[in-house]
Amino acid sequence: MTPNDRRPNARPAPPTSAGAQPTDATTEISTGGTMTLDADTTSTGRVVKRSNPVKPDLDSRTSLPLPRPARRRSPVDRWSGVVWVAPALVMYAVFVLYPLGQSVQFSFYDWDGIGQATPAGLDNWKAIFTEPELFGSVVHAFILVLFYTVLPVSTGLVAASLIRELRVGTFNTAARVVLFVPQVLPPVAAGIAWTWMFSTEGLVNQSLRAVGLESFTRAWLGDFTFALPAVGIIGFWLSLGFCTVLLLSGIGKIDPSLYEAARLDGAGRIGEFFAVTLPGLRQEIAVCATITTIAALASFDVVQIATQGGPGYQTMVPGVEIYRLTFLEQRVGQASALAVFLAALVLLVIWPIQRIGRHE
Amino acid sequence: MRTRNARSRRGRRPVRRIALPTILAALLASCAAPGTQGPPPEAPAAVSTSIGDAPVTLEVLVSTPDVPLYEELGSAFQAEHPHVTVEVTGEDFNNLTTNVPRLISGTDVPDLVRLASFGNLVKDHLLTDLDPYAEAYGWTEWPQSQFASTRVADDGRQRGTGHLYGAGPGFGLTGVYYNKELAAQIGMTDPPATLGDFERSLEEAKSAGLLPIMVNGKDGGLAYPLQNLQMNYAGSTQVVQDWNYNEPGADIDTSALVEAATTLQRWGAEGYLPEDVNSIDQTQAPARFAEGEGVFFPSGNWQAPALQETGHGEIGFFLFPPEEAGDPFTAMTAAGVLAIPAKSSQPDVAAAFLNFVQTDAGARQSTLDLLGLPPAGPADAPMPDAEPGSLVAATVESFQTLLESDGLVDFMSNSTASMHANTLIPQTQLLVAGKTSPSEFSAALQEDYENDTE
Repeated sequence: MTPNDRRPNARPAPPTSAGAQPTDATTEISTGGTMTLDADTTSTGRVVKRSNPVKPDLDSRTSLPLPRPARRRSPVDRWSGVVWVAPALVMYAVFVLYPLGQSVQFSFYDWDGIGQATPAGLDNWKAIFTEPELFGSVVHAFILVLFYTVLPVSTGLVAASLIRELRVGTFNTAARVVLFVPQVLPPVAAGIAWTWMFSTEGLVNQSLRAVGLESFTRAWLGDFTFALPAVGIIGFWLSLGFCTVLLLSGIGKIDPSLYEAARLDGAGRIGEFFAVTLPGLRQEIAVCATITTIAALASFDVVQIATQGGPGYQTMVPGVEIYRLTFLEQRVGQASALAVFLAALVLLVIWPIQRIGRHE
Repeated sequence: MRTRNARSRRGRRPVRRIALPTILAALLASCAAPGTQGPPPEAPAAVSTSIGDAPVTLEVLVSTPDVPLYEELGSAFQAEHPHVTVEVTGEDFNNLTTNVPRLISGTDVPDLVRLASFGNLVKDHLLTDLDPYAEAYGWTEWPQSQFASTRVADDGRQRGTGHLYGAGPGFGLTGVYYNKELAAQIGMTDPPATLGDFERSLEEAKSAGLLPIMVNGKDGGLAYPLQNLQMNYAGSTQVVQDWNYNEPGADIDTSALVEAATTLQRWGAEGYLPEDVNSIDQTQAPARFAEGEGVFFPSGNWQAPALQETGHGEIGFFLFPPEEAGDPFTAMTAAGVLAIPAKSSQPDVAAAFLNFVQTDAGARQSTLDLLGLPPAGPADAPMPDAEPGSLVAATVESFQTLLESDGLVDFMSNSTASMHANTLIPQTQLLVAGKTSPSEFSAALQEDYENDTE
């Protein structure tokens, strides 16, 4: 019995020895006997990989190269590829690289966006670290990562595992739709709706009053302690649907026989989650984490709508700060420096996430 | 996994070979200093008060709530000059404020644009100098204090001096609205004559279980009582006026401001302000006040037409009381400024329209009726009618009192482009929440001001 045959949309097995391999994998699991709570990620990871019909292709390439025609190419051949990508490359250069270069350049000038620019040396860059308001905004962005990334991914994992167990039908669909709806709404609309919910007479305070927690009511977005977490909750609400749906589709791709095997080995739900679901979702988790981390660090819309950085400087984030520097203060140089810094920071943060996402 | 497999290893090297030079080329390509180079545009040709009779279109760009007024003014102007078509476009006020520099430096430029502050517009030569028009239309014969805030020196920073760059149909004015019914409950029949009286009323309102002051702390409403208190304690408006107009060496970090901050903070601590003050914005505050929340509401005359409707005649208006009875009243004011962009194709028609809205009786009446803003204009021009005893009439009366006592001062919010959003809003929020001390508050205002104006 090969598990692939039972999958509704199993890919056709590659012509090499792949046909035999999944059987091996299955055997390995069922005879392994170590598929319990403490099954280590590496061995499980490999099991998952083996059962993947694409895997043999990878193996074959690293070990024995397939015969390829025209391995050595003439220079004309080599550059003909460039001609094909040239239109895209030109667009990329004009709309991505050139503006990027300009931003870097502007960051060394003192410029109002219209008049004459004067060179500013490294002043704009120094200001990011010396002006508490600018640096504080970067710190807030990292706090938002907790709400935009860590919470939605972990909650999404739990939600996706639970939905997986639901029988396919109305309730399952309803659960998916409910969780995905926030993803359909524009963040600005969500920001406005949540501003009402968080207001003094809003739903949040009404609910607290209804259950007798009158003393906990407050103007959430105007409260110095709770404004940033409140903004974070809006972000959590926005990210959760995306993460759940992505993780659900990831779970759908995990071989059901792995769950079956884990169950046979006596793994409970929790054991199953750590031994099969979690390792199987490694890539989806990385994608979720990457996208939501970017959303957190580069957040603008929700903050601009809900708090405009207030109260005080409590919810100021780099996105809003860049907008204000550019359009309100007309300090294009300073804004560019912060923007380039933010871009570099985002790359620096998502780089390790990408590494984790790749298999070992 | 799959994505990685799909990516061909062979493709990588040439990509790397191309990518680096491309990035370098992009960086090199943008090497010239950004911004305009070369000499400023030449002074405009001779101005004329004649607008000819060839058909022209006058494009007016204002903030959305002002659109009905300008459409009204536009059709009145068209009635007199049938060959002119006035086209009014509305933009959200904040969008307009942030986009004006780009809007009027482009190619398709409106002929009149509503401004909030001058920013770098004068320095960048984007506005038309109105002095020749002021001369031609005789605005120079009018009381000149109405034009002080729209005069900008050649350095583009200092106001109150230099050339005229804006004029408008009417003037904003701050004061305090009060709920007559609630005031009667605490035994207040007449508006307070002194600051001491006012503070006693606040105390009485608090002990009567009422909210003393409704104010929008989320978007800067706290700056009004702050500035009024500052001017009271300073005993003069000179310091704040110099500061607003960016006089060289102006310094607001004075004992008067520290004292004003102390009072405002005390009001917060004693519960005179709403508990959620920092999350109330300028649409919620008047709505909640009209529903009977709060005895007092410090705000401006632009709220009068709406409060007159929603308050059912239960709302009154008075000027912020002075320190001692008989001292002159002070209030903040700002013109609803319209400017003519330097690139306007119809500067003569635009100037004629500006002259019309300031002098035509019907236009002046519309300005008051639709926006609640009293017009200024010539000294002998009759003030338009407001329904006697109405809220709007009360604000117009206050405006005339102030014109006589010379107590009109610009808003601290208008001192620099970012003073309002980046300093006054967050700092007053910190202040009333007790997160900063009055002296730190005062120092922070001056420090940000110096950063902005350097």
